[in-house]
Amino acid sequence: MSGSKESSPEKLRCDHCFQESSTPIIVDINGEKRVFCCKGCLGVYELIHSNSLEAFYNQRCEWQPGPPATSVKLEAAAFSDTVTTTGKEERIELLLSGIRCASCVWLIEKFLMKLDGIRSARVNYATHKATITWSGDTISLDAILNALRSIGYLPHPCRGNSQSDVAAKEKEDLLLRFGTAGFFSMQLMLFIAALYAGFFEGMEERYRLAFQLISWALATPVLFYSGYPFLASAFRSLRRWTFTMDVLIALGSLSAYLYSIAMIIQGGEVFFDTSAMIITFILLGRFLEAGSRLKAGNAIAELAELQPHEALRVAENGETSMVPVAAVQQGEMIEIIPGDRIPLDGMVLDGEAEVNEAMLTGESNPVLKTPGSEVFAGSFSMNGRLRIRVTDNAGNTLLARIIHTVEDAQARKAPIQGIADKSAGYFVPAIIILAIATFLYWKLTAGSTVVALMNAVSVLVIACPCALGLATPLAILIGTTAVGKRGILVKGGDIFETISKTTTVVLDKTGTITTGKPSITDLHDYGLTSTFMQHVASLEAASEHPAGRAIAASWQSGELRVTQFKATPGRGVSGVMEGTLWRAGSKAFMEEEGIQIESEQSAYTTTLEAEGKTVVMVACDNKLAGVIAMIDELRPDALPLIAGLRKKGFALKILTGDNRGVASYIAAKCGITDVQAGLGPLEKAAVIRSLKAKGERVMMVGDGINDAPALTEADIGVTLGHASGIALESASVAILNDDLTLINTLMESSSRCFSIIRQNLVWAFSYNLIALPLAVSGLLHPIISALLMATSSLVVVGNSLRLKNI
Amino acid sequence: MHTTFFLIGIGLFVGVAAWFLFIWAVKSGQFDDPEAPKYRMLDDDDEPAKAATPAKPSKKKSP
Repeated sequence: MSGSKESSPEKLRCDHCFQESSTPIIVDINGEKRVFCCKGCLGVYELIHSNSLEAFYNQRCEWQPGPPATSVKLEAAAFSDTVTTTGKEERIELLLSGIRCASCVWLIEKFLMKLDGIRSARVNYATHKATITWSGDTISLDAILNALRSIGYLPHPCRGNSQSDVAAKEKEDLLLRFGTAGFFSMQLMLFIAALYAGFFEGMEERYRLAFQLISWALATPVLFYSGYPFLASAFRSLRRWTFTMDVLIALGSLSAYLYSIAMIIQGGEVFFDTSAMIITFILLGRFLEAGSRLKAGNAIAELAELQPHEALRVAENGETSMVPVAAVQQGEMIEIIPGDRIPLDGMVLDGEAEVNEAMLTGESNPVLKTPGSEVFAGSFSMNGRLRIRVTDNAGNTLLARIIHTVEDAQARKAPIQGIADKSAGYFVPAIIILAIATFLYWKLTAGSTVVALMNAVSVLVIACPCALGLATPLAILIGTTAVGKRGILVKGGDIFETISKTTTVVLDKTGTITTGKPSITDLHDYGLTSTFMQHVASLEAASEHPAGRAIAASWQSGELRVTQFKATPGRGVSGVMEGTLWRAGSKAFMEEEGIQIESEQSAYTTTLEAEGKTVVMVACDNKLAGVIAMIDELRPDALPLIAGLRKKGFALKILTGDNRGVASYIAAKCGITDVQAGLGPLEKAAVIRSLKAKGERVMMVGDGINDAPALTEADIGVTLGHASGIALESASVAILNDDLTLINTLMESSSRCFSIIRQNLVWAFSYNLIALPLAVSGLLHPIISALLMATSSLVVVGNSLRLKNI
Repeated sequence: MHTTFFLIGIGLFVGVAAWFLFIWAVKSGQFDDPEAPKYRMLDDDDEPAKAATPAKPSKKKSP
């Protein structure tokens, strides 16, 4: 097999990772022509091929393009503490990055099982966790880790994220309780249906008694096992003299249950179904909610992954050693290898490199770091070796502080008490007092304890929170599902309410209302050659800089061979094509290289820069050949979004980490006057906080880690599908298919959902308002009140279903 | 008359048995990963024995 770099007329799709590349590597494998975008993909392909696992390529579907992470360095020692040994068998759990579809699971399992000494390998597709057992005599952990890396899946130590572990436990507990409630309620309904039939048609006394006793037996675990969380929480809140929704649930189900027991003794009708069904339905809602919270927990683990665990410490005598980041003290020197994540905050002492800080600052262009500049943990050195003086220890880096801010804000954002909960604070005590009053009244006037008790419990049964309890969660459930179908993920019940009260919408710039990818706007070719663009694109094809990549991407018809390619980080590139030296870069780069720039050309550049454009100058053989300007343009869907929001009367504001020129250009283009530029992540959050202090209800739309604190700080954080994990984590709403205009849809759906909730609550309350006096006066037979209650719930269900087509 | 109670007994027994099955399923992690199993059946497995019982050597049944 031989690899060769060929010029190609158009972009070819990599056979391994599906990424399109204009500089593909084309290889003959068994007589067939295969295309790869990089050496990593070629290596993985060969490996899969030589293990006869090509079935991987036929099986995969829903594969997202992107090359594998084969070149990243592994530190096997970092994994050793997560290995458990039982006898001769060793076991490890690994978090794998790079799993894109279910075939990856297949490939990893098959590939590992082909290695000698591996006893079992299981990969969980949902959590991306691999559980591997092997015999320590035959194969080393090192070999396993490298095997995983060689096929493009990067293993990370899985130390268990306590937060998501707790969430998973909680979900399992809920599943058990809900499942139990479901099984017993189903059984229960059979007997209750028979009893209802018996009430109208008549049934033998011993059957009736038997069915009632069985119902009792079946309702008991539902109430006391499945309903335990409600009972416990109700008990706790009653002790503090607060009245929550849980008190209503507990009271409703308990009163129906106790009343039914009394009726078995008395010989009346039983309502165990009421008791069990309240618990079952409400548990279903909680179970679905827990699922979405569990997903959120995984994203925080991803953010922590940005933080490298080891650093290369440089000792006084110049020796370097790999140590855990926690061991590095402030003031010590560490070294950063090209392509590594920077482990700690510090100041550059030696070396020059372009560092990608997009995840921290939102600046999409790499920043040139020279001696004296600051670097931040979690950012990514793209080229060049750096030595830095550590300025903060591991717990105090900017990245660590961002994580803390997000966690704090999340903890503070306790679930807003639902409308039903708030009203329950008045409703519940009122019902209790009413029931007691009813009991006393009938006791004094009728003199019979049984009649008094029956009427009092009748009050409690009819006031039972069925409709009231369903009013909010059901509407939210249906509303959430409906918007979910359109690609809007709403993470929590209180969100619709908060959205419908929003007054100000704050937009992030880069990547949110702009594309985040610069495109060429101005092209001035001074006519030195007829193939200006081809030369520039060929030269920039090897550049890592987004501006260079934009130029390279704009040219699709064949590239020239470049020799003596040289990149000066942050300035420009140079190389020889067809015997001529070409240079492309900033104005400063041209001046350094001694290229003559006429005042007219210089003035033109200044005008372009004033419009917020990035300018690249091109020189051919020491003469200026042309000027290319590009800009990070507005997304096409940004204008409809802004028009829609403005029509609804929201105040609009743009916050960005970018410089003022670009920010004001974009702001002018979309007609927003309120712009703040040059803001760091924590400053963005501070702006939101001050808006909130002024009484505004703020919605923040953003997509990067740098937006995360602001997203959490805002009343509602909205993020886009391409956003980083942490942004998804901190936002309360995610627009999954990246269509900004869906924010308008979200606004409309929220107000509709909120008004349906209001209608439901009005209905549930007015039903109580009418039925309660009847119950108090002893006019309602318990069966009739049960029927009324069911009707009331049905009305709420029917009304909520109208949300299905929003 | 007895038949009715007998049938009720069977009905309850089946229901409770299903509940136990559910509890076992939750406890043994059957609900942990709802994504992968639907693809697992599509794998062409050349060596089913190795994948299915990787840790234990096959035991011979005594005659």
